[in-house]
Amino acid sequence: MDPQNLAYALLQLVHNFGAVAVVGGAVAARWLVRDAPATQRCLAWLVLGGWLAQSASGASFGAVSYHFYGQFPDIHAIARSALFIKLACAAGGALLAAIYLRRAAGWLPARRGMVWNMLLLLGVTALASAAFLRWFA
Amino acid sequence: MKNRLHFAPLLALALAFPLTTLAQEGSVSISAPADGAKLQAAADNRVTYEIMPGPKGDHSHLYIDGKEIAVLRELKGSASLKTLAAGPHEICVKVVNKNHTPIGVEKCVKVMVE
Repeated sequence: MDPQNLAYALLQLVHNFGAVAVVGGAVAARWLVRDAPATQRCLAWLVLGGWLAQSASGASFGAVSYHFYGQFPDIHAIARSALFIKLACAAGGALLAAIYLRRAAGWLPARRGMVWNMLLLLGVTALASAAFLRWFA
Repeated sequence: MKNRLHFAPLLALALAFPLTTLAQEGSVSISAPADGAKLQAAADNRVTYEIMPGPKGDHSHLYIDGKEIAVLRELKGSASLKTLAAGPHEICVKVVNKNHTPIGVEKCVKVMVE
């Protein structure tokens, strides 16, 4: 088995499950367990883990390229913009999930709902950007 | 006659080996513009290429002066060079992997635009 393809595949695995966690976690918290703050808190951990997994695996894609070819992926224009959007979403999502875990106990349901909406928006935006990054690079 | 038969497998191997190597490593050829060609700035300038991506290649990128201007997904064809300013330019076609990283299979030509 080609080690390079194996490395990319394992990272893709982490990246994909990270995407599922950030979007699925926010959807579940927003609609399925909206009246269960304790479960929402568990989902916030899941979403935070998802964003961290996305960040780490995303950076590792570049690291694998550098390891095997001595250079990073070559992307431009639309793809580069999509990457910046993904990075911003990951940073924002991780920060928001961390704030939620630290402070949501004292929040009203409406405020918790708003934060989950924002986390969902960040997740969907990152996923949409990923499509452009994949095909316009 | 017997000696010729002895050489036949060696000859076949020698002929087949470069092709096998080429297929394994991948290759890029640019048939137009030729290296050192002079182009007209106002013309519809295109690059004509043929690519063998090799086992690690996925698609290719087209560059002018180191700046990527297009993604090439066809193995053979031509692509517009868009507007080229007067002066010397380098046109490159580089094979990249699925992660968009150049894998070292590439061809570049230098042209002069007037």
